[in-house]
Amino acid sequence: MQLVEMASQSNQALEPGYQLLNYRIIKQLSGGGFSMVYLAHDESEQPVAIKEYLPNGLALRREGAVVAATSAENQATFRYGLKCFFEEGRALATIAHPNVVRVVNFFRANETVYMVMQYERGKTLQEHIQATKRNVKEGFIRRVFAQLLNGLREVHTRKVLHLDIKPANIYIRLDGSPVLIDFGAARQTLTNEKSKLSPMYTPGFAAPEQYNNRERLGPWTDIYSVGASIFACLAGFAPQAADARVQDDKLVSAKKLWAGRYSEQLLEIIDWCLKLDYMERPQSVFSLQKALMEQVPEPPQKRSIITSIRDTLNKDIF
Amino acid sequence: MRFSIYQSSRQGGRKYNQDRVAYSYSKDALLMVVADGMGGHLHGEVAAQITVQMLAETFQKQARPTLRNPFDFLTGAMVAVHDAIDDYASQHDLLETPRTTCVACVVQNDLAYWAHVGDSRLYLFRGGQLVVRTRDHSRIQQLYEQGQITEAQMSIHPDRNKIYNCLGGLIPPDVELSKITPVVEGDTFLLCSDGLWSMLTVNEIASVVGAYPIDRALPELLDHAEFRGGEEGDNLSVLGMTWGGPPRQAPAQSVSTATMPLDAFTTRLDRFDTAREGDGGVSDEEIEQAIAEIQMAIKKFSK
Repeated sequence: MQLVEMASQSNQALEPGYQLLNYRIIKQLSGGGFSMVYLAHDESEQPVAIKEYLPNGLALRREGAVVAATSAENQATFRYGLKCFFEEGRALATIAHPNVVRVVNFFRANETVYMVMQYERGKTLQEHIQATKRNVKEGFIRRVFAQLLNGLREVHTRKVLHLDIKPANIYIRLDGSPVLIDFGAARQTLTNEKSKLSPMYTPGFAAPEQYNNRERLGPWTDIYSVGASIFACLAGFAPQAADARVQDDKLVSAKKLWAGRYSEQLLEIIDWCLKLDYMERPQSVFSLQKALMEQVPEPPQKRSIITSIRDTLNKDIF
Repeated sequence: MRFSIYQSSRQGGRKYNQDRVAYSYSKDALLMVVADGMGGHLHGEVAAQITVQMLAETFQKQARPTLRNPFDFLTGAMVAVHDAIDDYASQHDLLETPRTTCVACVVQNDLAYWAHVGDSRLYLFRGGQLVVRTRDHSRIQQLYEQGQITEAQMSIHPDRNKIYNCLGGLIPPDVELSKITPVVEGDTFLLCSDGLWSMLTVNEIASVVGAYPIDRALPELLDHAEFRGGEEGDNLSVLGMTWGGPPRQAPAQSVSTATMPLDAFTTRLDRFDTAREGDGGVSDEEIEQAIAEIQMAIKKFSK
């Protein structure tokens, strides 16, 4: 997530042990531009993830629990941002799908609002890519993304766009199933951005139309990010940022980069999703999913006995 | 085309402003719209917003740079709005479909075409005199026409809010079309919601519109109506346009489309989230309501 404005003062997280309604804060999981996420336990000691609306630069909590706007002028923007936080809640509340993070509660406290989500155990796809050292298996990619697209289809059916799909926002549960998390950018389809809360996007994963043609946003926008995420599985890094590609496209096609290492069909899917012209990409999640689920023979691997033994020993659980 | 145009919407004494106003023009055609939403909470606002937005968007698609048939455009767009509001209601599982009035007017080739449903009005003034006004689709308008009440009684009658024709809801709208009316220099069109007209007599409106340029006349009318409406006053909205060159010095909103390219449009339309005046943000009630809605959705969708 790109920070829109640099925070001059940083916010204090809620202390471990803090009792927030019927939830007890265990620890802070992450803190970003607009919110902080905590691990907490509910009254039956079940873990939940709680997202707190706390936009850096607009609102401040130095000590204690109560959040205050940094200035009177920012008070209005803080309130406006609340509305965006509501959009995220609204979008997620209507989606009950195993591959989309589930919201279980939403409430107001400490002069701000909180969204309680199911806590998932596992790691992000980003952590997985880092752990496997750029050796993510084709079978894993196909299975994870085919499942993830089931969730994304449900999201699009609700007329919501995620707009920030990237490996860090794809969570892989312990059983290997993926969950789409962080709908913090999703609001953009539903409301108009204002200067202080300009659109969020992650360079490399955001589609070109997210930079300046926001009226062109559509399912194909999320599909670009899916393509970029698969690309990152192979490369270990994001493709060249789309705004730079529009100026001077230096992106080498996946088909060239990984010929022989992954099936030609998978590489073609990546290149298809990463088309700069949104009309040339898969137009719906369904058509992309169909392509991903096609049966293709795995590419012949030249393997030495040593690597073969090493692979067997290091066999990953996915 | 040369004309002066001014629009404004005020909340009055209500918690929300469910009125919307918008205009859009190409080189050779002008569209003006007023919608007055009805329905609980914020939903009336949504219906009115859908109306002005869809009309402006459809106008921009079809005015190349004039509309082939303004009446077809007005009827088609209003019926489409009706369907869009119903779709919105079913998508959001609203118990009560939001509804809205709508009055819209197109001027092109020195001819005016207008259409309306409900009790938002269009007035045409010429030389300080009323030429024509729309007839409300309301119970009191019927009583007035049957001679049972006077025009003055219309604004205080207990049934004054009952309309039988609108966009959204179970009954398809019956869009009433005007005559094709030639427009001459100096003509003033006034489109407004009942929050304005119910507080003023026709003579009052005519004399203010006749005495001042449009950008001074309308704030004056709004001030009077808002004052009379008082703490319980309805939302009040008005959009006024005077055709031709400005009589005295040019008011701020005087427009000449002579230099506009053929495919260009200028549209003034308040966005949903900026239309509300006041602190520019979200009120406590809205926060509570949003949270209640989200909690309801969570309950409903968690098996």
